Amino acid sequence: MKQNTFYLLVGVVGLVEVGLFALSVWLRNPLIITAGFIMGAGLLYVTRLMITDVREDERSRLITQQAGLRTLEVFWIIFFAVSLGIAVIGFSTPLGIPRPRDLPRDFPRDQPYLGYFGILQMILLCCIAFLYIVFRVYYARKYGEWDTDEE
Amino acid sequence: MKNKIKVFRAMRDLTQEALANELKVTRQTILAIEKGKYDPSLELAFKIARFFGVPIEEIFIYE
Repeated sequence: MKQNTFYLLVGVVGLVEVGLFALSVWLRNPLIITAGFIMGAGLLYVTRLMITDVREDERSRLITQQAGLRTLEVFWIIFFAVSLGIAVIGFSTPLGIPRPRDLPRDFPRDQPYLGYFGILQMILLCCIAFLYIVFRVYYARKYGEWDTDEE
Repeated sequence: MKNKIKVFRAMRDLTQEALANELKVTRQTILAIEKGKYDPSLELAFKIARFFGVPIEEIFIYE
């Protein structure tokens, strides 16, 4: 499989995931998007192994490893800091986490804060992706990914 | 760490692409090593030395 075909597949899977998310919200069933996302990620992982026109060697693996490691190092601090802030809200309320005052009538009232927490986590995950791209570009430049030279 | 890969390559009239194919790495890796932006692993350094048929210290100079 060519790399461009893989990117096309990533786009298709992404669109399917958006559809599954909408369906999940509509049916109020979180399992649909959860299972769908895991299957989509698994599919992309397997198909990525089939890419034939990109050679991976020790330098490209080093770039990926360094970028991943730095992302983790920075991200866990952000995630821990945000989690500490959230824990303060929980601990500083005697009867547990307070509910928002004006919920819509049809809002699921069993665990509304889980939904808000999910949105917060998605924002943080977007931060991870952004951080990873920044570090990936940094290390790719450092190890000469886009250098050109005369033969 | 300095290296003389470019010199050895020129002596054999080899392109970066050809050397990369022989060593099963990317052309960018050969370019990065030649420019001193990337120090190869011991394994790759030995492969390079073996490919040119010289001792490793003739190609790589530790400073």
